[in-house]
Amino acid sequence: MHNMPLIYGMNFLEKSMLSIIPETVIIIFAFMVLFLAFFEKLAKRKNSYYLSLIGIGFSILYVLMLSDRNIYGFYGSVVFNGFEVFLFIAILFSGMFTVLMSKDYMENSGMPAPEYYSLILFGLSAMMFLVSSNNLIMVFLSIEFMSICAYILTGYIKGDTRSTEAALKYFILGAFASAFLLFGAVFIYAATGHLNLYAIHSFLENISYAGSNKAVGGIGIKIYISAGLVMFLVGLAFKMSLFPFHSWTPDAYDGAPTPITNFMATGIKLAAFAIFLRIYSLIYNFNIMNFNDILWLLAVFSMTFGNIAALLSSNIKRLLAYSSIAQAGYILIGIIGGGFYGYSGTLFYLLAYIFMTAGAFAVVVIFENSDIISLDIKRYAGIGYKYPFIAAAMSFFLLSFAGIPLTSGFMGKFYVFSSAVKSGYNWLVLIALLNSAFAAFYYIKIIVKMYMPDKEPASPPLNSSGDNLGIISGAIDDGLMLTIIICLILTLLMGVFPQIFINFANNSADLLWRI
Amino acid sequence: MNNYLIVASIIFCIGALGVIVRKNLIVVFMSLELMFNAANLGFVAVSNRLNLISGDIFVIFVIVVAAAEAAIALGIAIAFYREKGTVDIDKANELKN
Repeated sequence: MHNMPLIYGMNFLEKSMLSIIPETVIIIFAFMVLFLAFFEKLAKRKNSYYLSLIGIGFSILYVLMLSDRNIYGFYGSVVFNGFEVFLFIAILFSGMFTVLMSKDYMENSGMPAPEYYSLILFGLSAMMFLVSSNNLIMVFLSIEFMSICAYILTGYIKGDTRSTEAALKYFILGAFASAFLLFGAVFIYAATGHLNLYAIHSFLENISYAGSNKAVGGIGIKIYISAGLVMFLVGLAFKMSLFPFHSWTPDAYDGAPTPITNFMATGIKLAAFAIFLRIYSLIYNFNIMNFNDILWLLAVFSMTFGNIAALLSSNIKRLLAYSSIAQAGYILIGIIGGGFYGYSGTLFYLLAYIFMTAGAFAVVVIFENSDIISLDIKRYAGIGYKYPFIAAAMSFFLLSFAGIPLTSGFMGKFYVFSSAVKSGYNWLVLIALLNSAFAAFYYIKIIVKMYMPDKEPASPPLNSSGDNLGIISGAIDDGLMLTIIICLILTLLMGVFPQIFINFANNSADLLWRI
Repeated sequence: MNNYLIVASIIFCIGALGVIVRKNLIVVFMSLELMFNAANLGFVAVSNRLNLISGDIFVIFVIVVAAAEAAIALGIAIAFYREKGTVDIDKANELKN
């Protein structure tokens, strides 16, 4: 299946269009959702909600139809093969969860819906372009496209000072990171004269075999290429929210509308990791400079900092933001471990991470919508008795974050850490294990809080309609329920029967490995 | 080419310093533009030296992206000004632990 040759006998345009069909479908639906805004009768929230879901469904269908193809479109700028299939499905799932979470949230916020959903779809298409891009121009353009959608969505709630502030901070640091990425691209271009990743790869292979130190304009090529790659790494590390470049993460995650927080935590992080994996496997692996040492430091500091900061925070969204920094550190270990097993472990962990994060954020959205329980963790006391199912689901997701056996988080950590041990990074794995033991403390703290009786006297204030204390008024939105159930089933399946998913990850890592 | 790249790097550093040091939102956005344009200068210099066209194409795309970013930036700045009555970055201090 993964040895299919390139498709010959098709003309350039057909082949190119075939390579971007899933993205094209999403963009067409994004425009359709946007056009709904013109017609007052059609611009109901529900219409754009269902239309976005249909678009995502069609895109998944097309990805599955093309899943055994191996296409290089637009002169090798866009790649579509098994690696993309895996990540496209993960990204589309993340987008689907975001849309499912948004219905009630948008109704409460009172903001126009068509623009919101179309921006989510545009952001999704940008992520997919990013994952399949094989050219520095494409990488830059899709990162910017994705980020611009995310900036707007972060500040979408008009008149909410927290939302605007989050958008402001996210924008300044995000654009700063993009500038670094762009300047890194200048140096890579100066050293190699190519923008296509495969061409850069073969260029580096040639010079590393010849062992020459060919000068470009007087300075050694190694200095250029390592400067370029370091700056490129800085730019991507911002998007992956690794330690020294994480400072936007808690603020942006906290201030953004919660479905969008989920979008940033799952989709954007996944896309950034995917493109980093591709570039790393193609370029960073050369013996130009010891990048693994830099990544080692980034991983260790991300884990440690993320966990300590999460322990100290009292807001559930901030806690999940810090925990996502720590999770990014764990995922990075798979890339450092490298090789076939490292990459497939990374992909598996990324998939597992999407489902647990989406599930946890869906629970947060439920309680945020209900107007009764705020984002403060203290207010979660006692919900285990009032809403047994939701609290049990939340506990399961948190245990999966902590890496308790029978959850997907455990299997993900297992694959990632074992690949690092195989490559001889024993200290790194030791630090990671200590970190995950430490992290279990604050995850379990929330669970304990949920199952503790609510001691605070008269703490849940009556909401405006004078509803019963601490009871969610009305039925819980079925989209949210669906998200929680899907995430729960998949987190459990990935923990109990990981073989199916790791085979899928192996297939796609295999294609990444083989150029 | 080297000299051009050195100039580009200096401009880039000035821009980066501006983003970090300045407090006025508009000046920060200008510094960001400076960083993007430093990269443009580098691309043009490199593609001229190596007789390639791809760098020039990249520059055109970067200009388009910079324009889109400026539109978003000013939109956010206006929203911020409406809420706070100032464009001082230090006033963005609501999100805390």
